[in-house]
Amino acid sequence: MEVVLLFVMIVGLLLLGVPIAVSLGFSSIVFLLAFSDTSLASIAQSFYQAMAGHYTLLAIPFFILASSFMSTGGVARRIIRFSIACVGHFRGGLAIAGVFACMMFAALSGSSPATVVAIGTIVIAAMKQAGYTKEFAAGVICNAGTLGILIPPSIVMVVYASATDVSVGRMFLAGVIPGLLAGFMLMVAIYIIAVKRNMPKGDFAGWAEVGASFRGAFWGLMLIAIIMLGIYGIPGVTGAIFTPTEAAAVASVYAFIVAMFVYRDIGPLAAKPAQSVGAAVAEGMDAPMGTPKSLLSHPQALITAFFHRDTRDTLLDAGKLTITLMFIIANALILKHVLTDEQIPQSIANAMLGAGLGPVTFLIMVNVILLIGGQFMEPSGLLVIVAPLVFPIAIELGIDPIHLGIIMVVNMEIGMITPPVGLNLFVTSGVAGMSMMAVVKAALPFLGVLFIFLIMVTYIPAISTWLPTLVMGPELIIK
Amino acid sequence: ACDDGEIVVKFSHVTNTDRHPKGIAAALLAERVNAEMDGTMCMEIFPNSTLYTDEQVLEAMLQGDVQLAAPSLSLFEPITKVFQVFDLPFMFKDINAVDAYQSSEDGQALLDSMQRRGLQGLGFWHNGMKQMSASVPLELPTDANGLKFRVQPSDVLVAQMEAIGASPQPMAFAEVYGALQTGVVDGQENTWSNIHGQKFFEVQDGITETNHGIIDYLVVAPVDWLDSLDADVRDQFLTILNEVTEARNSESTRVNEEAKEQILAAGGVVRQLTPEQRAAWVEAMKPVWAQFAEGIGQDVIDAAASYSN
Amino acid sequence: MGTRFEPKGRIGRFVHEFEETAIAVLLGLMTLLAFVNVVLRYAFNSSLIWSLEVILILFSWLVIFGVSYAFKITSHLGVDAVTNLLPDRGKRICALLAGAVTIAYAFLLLKGSWDYWAPFAALDRTSGQWFPTGWENTRDQAWYVTDQVPPLRWLFGWLEPLINQGEVYEKMPRVVPYFILPFGSALILFRVVQAVVAVARGTRSSLIVSHEAEDEVAEAAETLKRQGA
Ligand code: NA
Ligand code: NA
Repeated sequence: MEVVLLFVMIVGLLLLGVPIAVSLGFSSIVFLLAFSDTSLASIAQSFYQAMAGHYTLLAIPFFILASSFMSTGGVARRIIRFSIACVGHFRGGLAIAGVFACMMFAALSGSSPATVVAIGTIVIAAMKQAGYTKEFAAGVICNAGTLGILIPPSIVMVVYASATDVSVGRMFLAGVIPGLLAGFMLMVAIYIIAVKRNMPKGDFAGWAEVGASFRGAFWGLMLIAIIMLGIYGIPGVTGAIFTPTEAAAVASVYAFIVAMFVYRDIGPLAAKPAQSVGAAVAEGMDAPMGTPKSLLSHPQALITAFFHRDTRDTLLDAGKLTITLMFIIANALILKHVLTDEQIPQSIANAMLGAGLGPVTFLIMVNVILLIGGQFMEPSGLLVIVAPLVFPIAIELGIDPIHLGIIMVVNMEIGMITPPVGLNLFVTSGVAGMSMMAVVKAALPFLGVLFIFLIMVTYIPAISTWLPTLVMGPELIIK
Repeated sequence: ACDDGEIVVKFSHVTNTDRHPKGIAAALLAERVNAEMDGTMCMEIFPNSTLYTDEQVLEAMLQGDVQLAAPSLSLFEPITKVFQVFDLPFMFKDINAVDAYQSSEDGQALLDSMQRRGLQGLGFWHNGMKQMSASVPLELPTDANGLKFRVQPSDVLVAQMEAIGASPQPMAFAEVYGALQTGVVDGQENTWSNIHGQKFFEVQDGITETNHGIIDYLVVAPVDWLDSLDADVRDQFLTILNEVTEARNSESTRVNEEAKEQILAAGGVVRQLTPEQRAAWVEAMKPVWAQFAEGIGQDVIDAAASYSN
Repeated sequence: MGTRFEPKGRIGRFVHEFEETAIAVLLGLMTLLAFVNVVLRYAFNSSLIWSLEVILILFSWLVIFGVSYAFKITSHLGVDAVTNLLPDRGKRICALLAGAVTIAYAFLLLKGSWDYWAPFAALDRTSGQWFPTGWENTRDQAWYVTDQVPPLRWLFGWLEPLINQGEVYEKMPRVVPYFILPFGSALILFRVVQAVVAVARGTRSSLIVSHEAEDEVAEAAETLKRQGA
């Protein structure tokens, strides 16, 4: 079995500390050259076409860029203030507010670690000050941060859509209800624990604070409206204005305008020189924001904003993340190309269907593969490899592609918070200054919640498919 | 999987294997080659763009990584302009005229037109005649004025849409359904089988039977690879290919008629043009011919047009 | 982990500045072009028919050019859970082995990139399946143009007599966008070799980071500590 050798080689190289992208690419090349007469030039072609030939993946750099502009400076701070004003007065209120803030930030950002960094840094510190244990705070944020890839927009969903040719717009809609549900379940779990352990509660600051904090966060939250209304239109009023990919580009431009001219946290109108993202966020809610300059007195900012150092740095940050993610995805696509060239997905599908596999066993198998694979791989790279292997089988078994996609995303979420390797565990341990094992223990009770959630999502397709069917009509399954 | 010693022929295409005219033809070809040339030649089909998209497959072919492909004729535009003749609006009155031209001496000569670029045409496979659809009823060319139409990225098709005052929009094929549904674009042009297969009729006001153009595929192979085959192997292979081509092309009308029936049965609206309306479309689009005459060659245009008189 | 890359010397700073600006400009152009196309379609009912193809070209330029930069500043993702369990010596040996694999990868990628690009530039490919063993007479593909990109003859006109037998390019020839492949791959090989040398000298500990937000996390943790939170 050459394929087994191929996968053993990939895992071996990963554990040795070879970059993920190179592990995938090098193993594929060796496999290709050893077992077929396809040329090295085809590898280069795949590499180039990973970007130039995948229109859907274009949404990735654009969503990353929108999220970068949105997490520069004070958007996270404003969102947290708003969510504390809303739910801070319940028992365990600051923790519940943390989840709520993660949900809102997830709707601006396509990635989970970014959500943990932006919200976690502030909320964990605030919770400690309010008398929560650091462990509880870390456990909450570590879990809620995973919503970054379930609540649209989501980079992982874009990758799934591109790998399986389902509609990005549909995937995004399918994530809405599961995202809200998962967030709600986490909040309920926190509330129960908080009542039992008699955790602190804040004071209700009044409707005036709710209003004021909402006005503060409004321009950031408007991004959600722009993305959703732009992609789906307003029923009865207007059709859609752009495709999901274009929505991402428009979101970037909008986020740039808000950051530069409305919030003025960065750029020529900022009150003080911009700090790095980490520092700005870590200064917390009480950091002085200063008074930014007015556009009326500095009209030249309309031009200089484009060439400002902060603009370049934000573009660079987003570019760096795009490059490292796309390098992995491109090499995963090279692996996919090699597997296809050797007709491996086909033989796996035939073998499994021949063995009389049923939908339930199949879904459990997918869950297990993803949970194990998630230990070694960046989620989007894993999806590029696994989706083409399991998709044809799922279609054969009559499983809805959108439903399958949501199951896969939820699996990725869980993979991020299970030991030994989990993206969110790393990030939380770094942000909170705790050991990995301490974070693992802290995350455990909430991990249980997400597991129950996974089972619900796996066996109740309507959670995922109801909303997209309602808005976009019945799904088109072509393959 | 292929046995040792067999000549492996990788055939990469972009459609399903059981409903699309091209996919059915490819599957039939592979079945016959693998049965009749067992031990000599072995054909592997890579459907659904799993190996290469149509945009990438010709490069891969010139590199020697794939041996057979059947991209749609508009995709050959960067290689030779002569195939633009098939994209010219109202060039052929029906699929029989297309057949007659393609099997004529002039038509067959087109197969050799890319030899110096390293590609050999082996045969034309039909999809069918193109129809037009939009979010509003299309009866006269003026109805398309100001609408956004998704077109394949071909100069001729762009010019054709501009000729009726529509705005041509580039868009990946996978996004078209969603874009029509949500109104990002207003209309599209395609064959009955594609309109049915992609369910475009569900998200359009109706389909107008314009028959204004055709979608055809060119089966191609690399010259270097063909030259490397033994003469008798090559002859047997090409004979099978020709038989499959004839068999499937004669079915294409039926496949498209069936697709049209199924669209009607599913509640889709199909509009016919009166002779006067049709004349208006021809008049609006015909100026496109002159725009491309120089690149294609007036003699080629005249020859092709002669089969529709 | 978490140490930001600091360029050394005047040339080093200039190159670093150039790389960072190029990445920012490529991403910025992609975004603006996509945005302009939406505005054109929605407000003016028109479109730039070449925009989609150009955006995709810029996308591949961004990534293929940027990979070498990411090697330079150590931001490629990897798994360090196992190597972190090893003593320092073991870590170093692993890092060197991983470096050797990465050099081999970059080398094969460079050969593949050259072989892919050369025909479009009317040049010869290399022979040999794994290692270049010489030159191979290659069928010229310099005539191959992009689908929709304007030719920009004022900029690339000199290619016509040089590789296209004097024939006019009516669209931009593919040799131009594909140039990023050999160029980017050569840079990748160069940066990888540099990184492995640094590991061997002990000035750098590995080729990877364990997650995408490593810089931000390090900073945030530091600030939190400073505040005594
Ligand atoms: Na999100
Ligand atoms: Na994990």
